[in-house]
Amino acid sequence: MRRLRAGVELTIAVMRDPRRLIGLSDSEWEDFLAVAQETRLLSRVALERKRSRLTLDAPDWARDRLEAAAVKGAQYEREIGWEIGRIQRALRDVDIDPVFLKGAAYVAARIPCGRGRVVADIDILVEEAALADVERALVAHGWEFEPLEPYDDRYYREWMHELPPMRHRQRGTLLDVHHRILPRTGRMHPPTARLLERSVAIDGVRVLSPPHRLLHASAHLFQDGEVFGSLRDLADIASLSAGGEAFWREVAEEAQALGLGRPLFYAVRYARRMGLADELAPSTLGLVGRWAPPPATQALMDTLVHAALGGGALLQGPASGLLLMRSQWLRMPPSLLAAHLWSKIRRSSPFAS
Amino acid sequence: LTLADLPPEVLSRQLRTGTLRLRVGPFIVSVRSSLQSVRHSLLSLYAWHRVAEPGDGAHFAIHVDPPRGLRRFVRRQVQFEGNGSRPFLPLPIGMAPLLFEGAINWCVGAFAHHLVVLHAATVEKDGVGLLMPAAPGSGKSTLCAALIGRGWRLLSDEFALIDPATGELLPVPKPIALKDGSIAVIRAWSPDAWLSVPLINLEGQLHACQRPPEASVAASGERCMPRLVVIPKFLAGAEAAVSRLTRARTVMHLADNAFNYNLHGQRGFELLAEIADAAPAAILQYSNLEEGVRIVNRLAESARR
Repeated sequence: MRRLRAGVELTIAVMRDPRRLIGLSDSEWEDFLAVAQETRLLSRVALERKRSRLTLDAPDWARDRLEAAAVKGAQYEREIGWEIGRIQRALRDVDIDPVFLKGAAYVAARIPCGRGRVVADIDILVEEAALADVERALVAHGWEFEPLEPYDDRYYREWMHELPPMRHRQRGTLLDVHHRILPRTGRMHPPTARLLERSVAIDGVRVLSPPHRLLHASAHLFQDGEVFGSLRDLADIASLSAGGEAFWREVAEEAQALGLGRPLFYAVRYARRMGLADELAPSTLGLVGRWAPPPATQALMDTLVHAALGGGALLQGPASGLLLMRSQWLRMPPSLLAAHLWSKIRRSSPFAS
Repeated sequence: LTLADLPPEVLSRQLRTGTLRLRVGPFIVSVRSSLQSVRHSLLSLYAWHRVAEPGDGAHFAIHVDPPRGLRRFVRRQVQFEGNGSRPFLPLPIGMAPLLFEGAINWCVGAFAHHLVVLHAATVEKDGVGLLMPAAPGSGKSTLCAALIGRGWRLLSDEFALIDPATGELLPVPKPIALKDGSIAVIRAWSPDAWLSVPLINLEGQLHACQRPPEASVAASGERCMPRLVVIPKFLAGAEAAVSRLTRARTVMHLADNAFNYNLHGQRGFELLAEIADAAPAAILQYSNLEEGVRIVNRLAESARR
């Protein structure tokens, strides 16, 4: 566990400055490679290292593993670029220019957190009114819905913020079509229209505006919480937070307009705590301070997040569990959540028909 | 220092604690296992492989042991973990030695992306690197074992590792996997070769491992250029026949048998094209091993000129 902690610290340090790779001892290399690989950050670091033309005094095995990660990362980027083009082409039939979210957007926007990124599924955002057209066009171009139980289909269509996942018949790639960025049943409802209106095109690919990208990543991590606890998510936040005073003024305005102040507060707080966003001006903390939770809640969150990120060995599992429960709680009103869990339990029980 | 040079208690301790560092071609493999069968099999099959200082670093970290959990009280099983993932379900404990071989192969396929990796047996003689890319069951390991019994140097019976910067083949001399009928054939062919006791593998075949020749292991660092491609097709009772392949077909065949050619983008394609340019390719259909080896030697002779 001591080594895990050392690996986390090294990974963070190296992401901030690849020159930290110089002069690592063998055991430091091992700690760093293990954590960076596990948190899916190794390809990013490896490509960053190549770009900076840094020469390393690393042992052969470490150099080879870094190079392997760079090779893989470059391929991930090519694949995502290609897939984005396929999706755009399919939706041109119905005259829709989708907004790409999360990983695919970071790759398309060529920002550091998109470098060598493993993107499991591509996420796009379209107007709710256009869903039927989008679905039809995608199906015509080879995407199909994964086989679903009627209950799961209903779960997505009535309660969630996205269609059930689609998979391309030939390429096997996954696509999530969103019409909002948080579940219908949740407590926060950032208006999709505002997100789409302010989206920007980078090299022909539409993505959220920089402030909206940061707010979406924050909301995803601290509100929706499907992938809670990964260092990579906080590294994303740090990378998306890079900007001057004008940028942060806009972030604050948009956080207000979208109602995403609280997740933004958490995102900034924990990215800084992990040492990922030290360059953020202290004024930024003041700016988001107005969305701080009551002290007791904050103390609890601090403990859980710290533990989930590898700070406290014993608590890591339980803390992640509690945080997952918290995000489920935020996704749905209690009565609906109870019904949902009941139906999940019934299905997983050996007595279910 | 080779594995055979390690005092037994040192080897046992290093295996138990996972500090054993075995050099297999260009890779450092860290091995951890509490199983006697794995220790025994390593000592027999990797006797001449060098060990590195017990340290921290490795390309692949392999851990072969019975899984935890209640099942172990009912039926003893074994599972491997490679660089932190467990890609396969537990197997019967008797398969542990085969599982270790499978684990190394899996790691090469899953992690060695700094190299271009093809599914091919590779051997060398007089500077001619011979690639034999083919699907399992085509007799490539058997032909490979036969060739090293007649003066060829073993690079690998499973992988062609290519340095993307230079196009050279890197040796990764691992035990040769012989199945079913091949076991007796190679025993008769190379009476001096050491073969492990055959086990039943997952496909229900008899599976024995041949220890790589000492000279091949000692030459693990000597690279060579691919100069000949032979696609073996064992067909019982068939007349020996050679048919040449065009360069375009050669590239396609190499790509079909590649693990990670796609990851290397344009460079990957160029490399395969360079091989097709430098190495004439032929499909070799044979049933008689003596005849097959004679034809390969003849092809190598003309490739050398």
